[in-house]
Parts: sequence; C-alpha cells; structure tokens
Amino acid sequence: MPLQISAKQDDNLARRLQRREPDAIAELYDRFGRIAYSIIAAIVRDNQAAEDLVQETFLHAWNEAHAFEPGSAALGPWVLAIARNRALDHVRPERGALEHPSLFAGTEREALDTDRLQAIRKGIAKLEPKQQKLIQLAYYEGLSQNEMAERIGEPLETVKTLVRSALRHLREELGQTVNA
Amino acid sequence: MTCGELQPDYVAYALGIADEPERGEIADHLARNCPNCGPGVASAMATVAAMSGIVNVAQPPARLRKRVLASIERAPSSGKLGTLLPWIITAMVSIALVTIGITGRRESGDTSKLQRALPILNDPGTRGVTFGEAGKPSHGRVFVNPKMGVVFLGAGLPSIDSNKTFQLWVIPAKRNPITVGLFQSQSDATAVYVHAGAVEDVTRVEVTVEAAGGSAQPSTTPIVVARLQGQG
Repeated sequence: MPLQISAKQDDNLARRLQRREPDAIAELYDRFGRIAYSIIAAIVRDNQAAEDLVQETFLHAWNEAHAFEPGSAALGPWVLAIARNRALDHVRPERGALEHPSLFAGTEREALDTDRLQAIRKGIAKLEPKQQKLIQLAYYEGLSQNEMAERIGEPLETVKTLVRSALRHLREELGQTVNA
Repeated sequence: MTCGELQPDYVAYALGIADEPERGEIADHLARNCPNCGPGVASAMATVAAMSGIVNVAQPPARLRKRVLASIERAPSSGKLGTLLPWIITAMVSIALVTIGITGRRESGDTSKLQRALPILNDPGTRGVTFGEAGKPSHGRVFVNPKMGVVFLGAGLPSIDSNKTFQLWVIPAKRNPITVGLFQSQSDATAVYVHAGAVEDVTRVEVTVEAAGGSAQPSTTPIVVARLQGQG
C-alpha cells in the first residue's frame, strides 16, 4: 500500500481511528507499518525490539488519535514521528519526544510522496561528508548539537552552522519555503 | 528571541536535536500559539517525515501485523496521564523494577507503556505478588488491580523462537483463563507488560509461550504462575 494518501482519505482514516474502528488501525498499519518498522529497526538494530516498538507505536497512535485534528494534520508524519521517538527512547531513554498531534497541525500531506523521499536521498548525497555524518547522528541517534560537537570534535557553533546549512539544503531540495 | 532568529532551527527542533537556548525559545513560542513558529515547526515535522527516505526499507515479519492488531483489540482508551513528564514516569517505574530485583538499564524506554503502568502501581486497590519458584529462572512481580489492570515485571525469561510469543493470562475463580496480552522479552531476558482494563476476581496470573499471534486458551505449560494471596 503506498505511503501517499489523499487529504480526503487521510481525514477519513483519522476520523475512523477516533471512532476506534478496528479496521482503521489495520489500514494505518498497512500504510505505515513497513516504513515505521524500517525506521525503528535502523535505529535500534535489534529485530525483536523493533517488533515491540512497532506494536507500541501503533498502540500509541490508537490511544492518542483523539487529539488528532482531521482536516489539518497529516497522519503519516505523525505516525513516523512516534516510531522514530519510540526507537530513540529505546536507545536513549532520557531523551524527550516531540510527537503531540498538535505539533503536526498544518503539516504538508505530501511529506511522504515518493518524489519527496527521493529528493531527500538526492539532497543527502549532495551534502559534504561531514554534514552527511551530522544528519546521520541527528536522525538515527537523536544526538543534540552539543553531543554532536563532542562526538566529532568540532566547536558547537561550527556544528550548528553545518547542521543548519544541511537542513536548509534538504528543505530546498524538498521545495519547501526557506526564509532564513 | 524573535521568530526570525528561531526559524533556522525549526527542523533541528522537530528532529529533537536543538540545544538551548533555541529549544526552549521555540517551545515558548509554541506554547504561546505563535502564528509563525506553529506553522514553521509543522512544516519542519514534514521535513523530518520525508527524512525517512534515507532509511533502507526493511520488510517486517508477517506476524507483526497480527500482533499489532491483537494488541489494539485489548487496548483501552488512554487517560490524562499522557500529560505527565516522561522522566517522572520512567523514574517511578524504575524504582518499582529495582524494588523487585530487576536491575540494569532498561532497553525499552517506552513512555506509553510506563504511562499505563503508573496509575495501576499507584492505586491503593492494587495487589502485588512475587513469583519465581526454586529451580526456575523466571522471577519477578505482578501487580493486579481489579478495576484498572495488570502490570507484569519479569526477569530470567526463557529464550523463545522468533515465531513464538509470550502470552499473559489472568485466571478468574472457576472460569477459563482470559488473555490480557502478548509480549516479547528484551535481550536481557526481562519484560515489562501492562494491560489496562478491568480484571475481576483474578486468582492467578500466568505466562505461557504460544505461537505468534497468541492462542485463544493456553496451549503450553505456564512458565510463570503467580498466585494472588488469599486466592485460588
């Protein structure tokens, strides 16, 4: 099942989740289970733990769907944020998670379109090796910029500049507005 | 700081990697329903979602879908505990784990699981029982609250095949076992499982090893039997 989903389908699925219709969670899993598992497995590198965390991801989505705003927020980015946060919690329990549905109000529904995912891959490939390393540390390990600075032995301001530049480049590759 | 100064760090914030002062400043702006930072962070969340494009896609085992759907069927709706700070919840459950002798770093820092355990552990109507017979490696503690649910904290659990699962049962007086969940152990042979929901008249809590997806009734000899005091 493709990750892309129309606004109407997305809203309909969100409302069915809020009504706690069991087939809605099946559809949510069919759409996002594979990529959620892939993200989690890449972070925790333990297939058994990954299965536990996928279960927790969808259970969390099921329990928190009431706070979701159909018509405003997109389900895919929210579910994948939960998945990544579950995985990072697993390897770094002290880390705080940003996943409340309200943070996703207004999220572009095209975030998971195939061309965007490809654009990200191309964008990463164009980055300097040091920036690629920082993006990997950010995405897969959730390191703060302070921690990245310690890890790679560069001053914090240098790391901040490199990260901002890399993320700005990725947003440009995605065609997102960058005003800074 | 102004919205313009914070804008370059929206994606870092959404990734959870922003440091102070930007992290706190953005959080403050969001708390004030800032008309610039709210949409800016939402857009950054979409960037983070698209960054899943860098992940090599893996195929989850087919049993996982069944397991996810089975867990949802038994899941109650969440309460207001979702607003509690995760570190408070983690700390309180960590204390419970140490109290029963399950020490060491928890591999799973799952906040939602801990959020569901806390009200059960804190309720005065909860009864706890230690399990672990001589000669059997599995040990731990089970907490049962008739109106709220069950918290299972286990250690020394046996290694099982990937096509098997642990299944938790409550045994009411003079009735058949009722399944309250499927779970896997962590690599250190420990497991924490929470079932939130009424479990009336429970005399025993048992764990069996079943085929992935679970069984309607226990099909193997229990590896854990925890008898509640004064019951069965």
